[in-house]
Amino acid sequence: MSKSRRPLLGHLAILAIGIAAPLVFPAWQSQMAELWLFIVFALTWDLVGGQMGYNSFGNVVFLGVGMYACVVTQVGLFYQVSAYNDARGGGATIFTFDPRQYFEGLAIGLPVGAVLAALTAAFLGSLVLGMRGHYFAICTLGLGVAAGELANGWEWIGAGSGMVPPNPPGAIGDLSRFYYYLAFALAIVTFLGLRWLYTTRFRFAINAIRDNEDKAEAMGLRTTQIKTTAWVIAAFFLGIAGGILGNLKRFIDPIDTAFAGATFGVWMVLMAVLGGKGTLWGPVIGAILFQVFKEASWTYLLGWQRVALGLLIVLIVVFFPQGIMGFLRERFPAWFGHRVEGVKDMDAVEETKAR
Amino acid sequence: MLHYRTFMIAAVAAASLPFAAANAQSDGSIITLGAAVSLTGKYTTNGEHTKRGYDLAVKKINEAGGVTVGDETYKIEIKYYDDESTPARGAELAERLIQQDGIKFMLGPYSSGMTKAIAPVTEEHGVPMVEANGASRSLFTNNWKYLFATLSTSEQYLTGAITLVAKNADDLGKEPEEIKVAMAFENDPFSQDVREGVLDDMKEYGMEAVIDDQLPRELNDMTATLTKVKALKPDLLIVSGHSKGAATAIRQINELKVNFPVLAMTHCDSADIIGKFGDGAEHTLCATQWAPTMSYSDELFGSAQDFAKLFEETYGYAPPYQAAESAAAVQVYADAFERAGELDSKKVRDALAATDMMTFYGPIKFDQAGKNIAKPMALYQVLDGEYKVVWPSGVADTEAVVPRPST
Repeated sequence: MSKSRRPLLGHLAILAIGIAAPLVFPAWQSQMAELWLFIVFALTWDLVGGQMGYNSFGNVVFLGVGMYACVVTQVGLFYQVSAYNDARGGGATIFTFDPRQYFEGLAIGLPVGAVLAALTAAFLGSLVLGMRGHYFAICTLGLGVAAGELANGWEWIGAGSGMVPPNPPGAIGDLSRFYYYLAFALAIVTFLGLRWLYTTRFRFAINAIRDNEDKAEAMGLRTTQIKTTAWVIAAFFLGIAGGILGNLKRFIDPIDTAFAGATFGVWMVLMAVLGGKGTLWGPVIGAILFQVFKEASWTYLLGWQRVALGLLIVLIVVFFPQGIMGFLRERFPAWFGHRVEGVKDMDAVEETKAR
Repeated sequence: MLHYRTFMIAAVAAASLPFAAANAQSDGSIITLGAAVSLTGKYTTNGEHTKRGYDLAVKKINEAGGVTVGDETYKIEIKYYDDESTPARGAELAERLIQQDGIKFMLGPYSSGMTKAIAPVTEEHGVPMVEANGASRSLFTNNWKYLFATLSTSEQYLTGAITLVAKNADDLGKEPEEIKVAMAFENDPFSQDVREGVLDDMKEYGMEAVIDDQLPRELNDMTATLTKVKALKPDLLIVSGHSKGAATAIRQINELKVNFPVLAMTHCDSADIIGKFGDGAEHTLCATQWAPTMSYSDELFGSAQDFAKLFEETYGYAPPYQAAESAAAVQVYADAFERAGELDSKKVRDALAATDMMTFYGPIKFDQAGKNIAKPMALYQVLDGEYKVVWPSGVADTEAVVPRPST
């Protein structure tokens, strides 16, 4: 087989597996939906953290903004948001959404979430992306915490009581399957979008910033502008992921679900690092391994899962400081040849998924 | 090379693990209930109380011969997962219990937030859930058909404290409408709902809120609120923030030597304020769902006192009400299974809806929305290093000391 056709076949295989998976394993679809979202988390984190070398712990802000914006839109199109959230105090009103309202809300809510998340990134980026290295990392950590506390105090979106996304009408059928396919589609679009982006000049620009920002600037790159653009792109996809995640989880707690820095926020980094920073397939592989490990340890190591996760982190840092992709590249440079991401890795993805 | 191989083996092993469990089903003579409780994270203490309550009831029911459904006798078992005190995890685990482990009957998690996250899932799958630790009113305004709660809802938690203070307003040298109230509530679904209830009760007497603070989660510092209390001298301070909040409040009130006539809070016994702070906890008013001194009883556990004794023998500490209401949830299931006559989710759900029983924890009868309307809330006071029920007067051990004697 010619070398150029193998990637295509591999892609088709992934597509087929992705479409068939919820039909074959219906009991696992919400975890698999989460997996696709995790892939989006890792890919978007890697755009800024890996390709550009700006370790952000605050990407969870965009996830939360997207989540709230989407759900508030879903509600706000048809009811008063404050009345909807006030009903938690024991009001007798029951809010129902018919199928048309539900899908309309979602169709408008997801893009609204994406755009708001992107705008947030543009705004925050212009403020903090002048900082470098540790300063940037710590600053973004603060952003995540601050956003959570703000949401936790904002009555209009339910404050500390959280917000419940609209209850889907019965007609929608199997909710997790619906959101599985949404998440799947988003993961594919994100992946293809980034793959395209990485073939453009933009990639060289952000790589230059990673490798030596002063030189990049000296060569005439408008670094702050480029960095902000990268963050905006990451936030856009993350915003959509947030909207899907909120509806999938069916209850948005401001600190534990939306702006969950201690879970989703850290996991994004972990998955990208595990798979290999600065590569296209690394975050994907990392997300898959991470989700499988997480689900398995939550079942078999009850009460110790966080310890196991901690151990995993230590193991990654000690044995795979460059991530799985980095490790493979070092050991089998031939696999990579002149192409940056080779064929072999795709097979690895398929294997993991087929298990 | 070695690293690589070892890693791959580990990865393959990890990847294949979940599938091994996929077919674990309840076999013929066992009914498996499913529960996601907090074994780690901020609700660990109360998650543990919840789990122990469930476990004790299961043990007792099985020892007594199990449950007779139709012609067959079943033992009960519970499959647990750890929700890590995060709602996102709870919803996921509920789905996992139902879809992968084939659980047809769920027990509730700890806290309103967790219950909020799990209830939509059980509802969608038509799986009944009897919960004992989600008290927020908002749980019962969704027209859910499969959710049942053994406890009183949160707006009733501190009604007793407001009533007592209003009644004893004379001793404070005031009219009820002149009473000044300071409120400090954690910003989480449960405590915020308690706050709503308190505000409603205050309105009834025309009391004024001089402080209304919302405190962060995992409450471990409230000096700012207490400084304001020192300055504004309210008659009553109300605190609600689960176990951590209760412990923090008592500790800092003593450290900062803040004096005011009445302190009322939730979660005293689960925070073990007497054991931890001794005299410092004296005269605190505490909301409670249940107390060992109450005169309720049933055939399984005997009296409330008997339950308390058994619990203490088994786990080495007096049962907080969280354990009692959880044990009662399992009893409710056992009763409903027997009345349903078969293990069909819908039939059991209907049997649950028709529940009307007496337990050591109190009477249980669900309204349309699924909350227990038969059992009233009660109020403890810490008197001479012991919890004494002081309200409602029908079940009270002794008269409340309001305001507390000035020192």
